[in-house]
Amino acid sequence: MKIWSSEHVFGHPWDTVIKAAMRKYPNPMNPCVVGVDVLDRSLDNRGRLHSHRLLSTEWGLPALVKAVLGTNRTLTYIKEHSVVDPVGKKMELCSTNITLTNLVSVNERLVYTPHPDNPEMTVLTHEAVITVKGFSLGSYLESLMANTISSNARKGRDALEWVISRLNTEFEELVAPP
Amino acid sequence: MNSVGEACTDMKREYDQCFNRWFAEKFLKGDGSGDPCTDLFKRYQQCVQKAIKEKEIPIEGLEFMGHSKDKSESS
Repeated sequence: MKIWSSEHVFGHPWDTVIKAAMRKYPNPMNPCVVGVDVLDRSLDNRGRLHSHRLLSTEWGLPALVKAVLGTNRTLTYIKEHSVVDPVGKKMELCSTNITLTNLVSVNERLVYTPHPDNPEMTVLTHEAVITVKGFSLGSYLESLMANTISSNARKGRDALEWVISRLNTEFEELVAPP
Repeated sequence: MNSVGEACTDMKREYDQCFNRWFAEKFLKGDGSGDPCTDLFKRYQQCVQKAIKEKEIPIEGLEFMGHSKDKSESS
């Protein structure tokens, strides 16, 4: 089992980051995410919005890897549950793979909160637990996967910055004087 | 962005547009009442559930999720 965690600060207020996080895909940094669907969405009795989403990802695995994994399936699926508290200003997102579970399990948790010292900034804490199953090279593969998660996390943050700047451009075009 | 079910993509985009507007202009500003997207979501959700069953994607408790959505709407 491998645990990976990181903390990142966005130079944008919490509302801006959360709007972008809900519209993260598609983006050029995460081309592997090819489908996003909302399975369920509801408000709880504390006014928090719960969303259950299904992400379809296409890794484009090389033929050799496919042969080792013993699968022709290259589409993998991830289940995601997010909770947005607009009053407490906290968004928590948990995701786990629901395919290839006999081989590996990747559980991620992302929490977005306003920076305690500066309300114009937002803190993201990101944790992942990776478990490779029944494999003697388990810990080596887990380290490899942690590196992949780290690099994907960087791409994910770049993706949010990209979405934020697009949303700002759309807004500027809307309010531009004729 | 596409849907897992090819037939659902247009419904998904229509729902997403409605939701994103409500989320940014109402929900985040503290007004979580009156979700205007429920009808769009019902149609889209039915399409997605069908696609998930057809593709045998292992989502547990899908029917249960449908029920909990109805409960929160009525409360």
